[in-house]
Amino acid sequence: MDFSDKHIEFILASYALSFLLICGLTIYVIVRDRRLRAEAERLDKLRRKENT
Amino acid sequence: MQYLANPTRFLKLANAVLPFVWAIAVALLILGLYGALATAPADYQQGETVRIMYVHVPAAWMALFVYVVMALASAVAIIFRHPLADAAAKTAAPIGAVFCFLSLATGSLWGQPMWGTWWQWGDARLTSMFVLLLLYIGYIAIWAAIDEPHRAAMIARVVALVGVINIPIIKFSVDWWNTLHQPASVFRMDGPSIAPSMLWPLLVMGLAYSFLFLALHLTSIRAEIAARKIRQIQIAEIGER
Repeated sequence: MDFSDKHIEFILASYALSFLLICGLTIYVIVRDRRLRAEAERLDKLRRKENT
Repeated sequence: MQYLANPTRFLKLANAVLPFVWAIAVALLILGLYGALATAPADYQQGETVRIMYVHVPAAWMALFVYVVMALASAVAIIFRHPLADAAAKTAAPIGAVFCFLSLATGSLWGQPMWGTWWQWGDARLTSMFVLLLLYIGYIAIWAAIDEPHRAAMIARVVALVGVINIPIIKFSVDWWNTLHQPASVFRMDGPSIAPSMLWPLLVMGLAYSFLFLALHLTSIRAEIAARKIRQIQIAEIGER
C-alpha cells in the first residue's frame, strides 16, 4: 500500500472507524453478556438459598 | 430449528461453539486485512482509495443480511412461536445497525474523493441504505420504549417484516435507477467483474464479518436469555411478597 497516496487520510479514516466501531460493539456485547449472566447466577443462587 | 428453540439446548450449543466462531472470525479478519492492505493491487482509476471497498462492501452486505435474519426470526416468532425467535431478532438489530452505519460512513469517506461529494440525497442506493438505518433505529427504539415485552415483540415483529421490503429496493436500486453509486460487481448473473486479486480479499472480509456477526449474535442471545431469567426471578419475588 502506498502511504503517499493523495487520498490516504480517507483510507485510514475508513479503517480506523471500522476498527473502532467493531471493537466497541464487541466489547459492549461481551461485557453485557458477562454482567447479565453473573447477575442471573447470583439471583438464582440467592433464590435457591432462600427456598432451602 | 425446533431443537434450538429450547433455551437450555441453545445455551449448551452456543457455549460449545462460541470459542471456535470467535477464533475463526479473528483469523479471517487478519487474513482479509492482509489481503486488503498488503497483496491487493491499487485500482488503475481510483488508486489506493479502492482499499476502502474491503471495509465498506462487507459492512453493506452484513447490513442487508442481518435485516433479513431479523425479519426471518420475526416471521418464525409469529408462525411457530419459538421462545428464542424474538430474542434472535431483538439482538440482531444493534449489530445490523452498526454494520449499516459503517457502510454509510465508509461509503461517504469513499464518495468524497471519488465523486466529489460526501452524500447525495438523489441517489437511490444511498437513500435506501439510510432508510435501512432508520428502520434499525426504529426497531431498537420499540424494544427500548415499551416496557411490556410481549407488546414490544408484537410491534417489533410487524416493523421488521414491513421493513424487509426495503432490502430488494436496496439491492436493485442501482439497476432500477441511474445512480451515482456503481452497479453490482460481485453478485451478478454473469459472475463477478472484479479481478481475482481484488476479489479474494473482499470475499474473505465478507466471510470474516459473517463469522463476527455469528459470534456477536450468539453472545447477545445468550445475554438476552440471562436478562429474561433475571426478569422472571424479579417477577417471582414480587409475586411472593
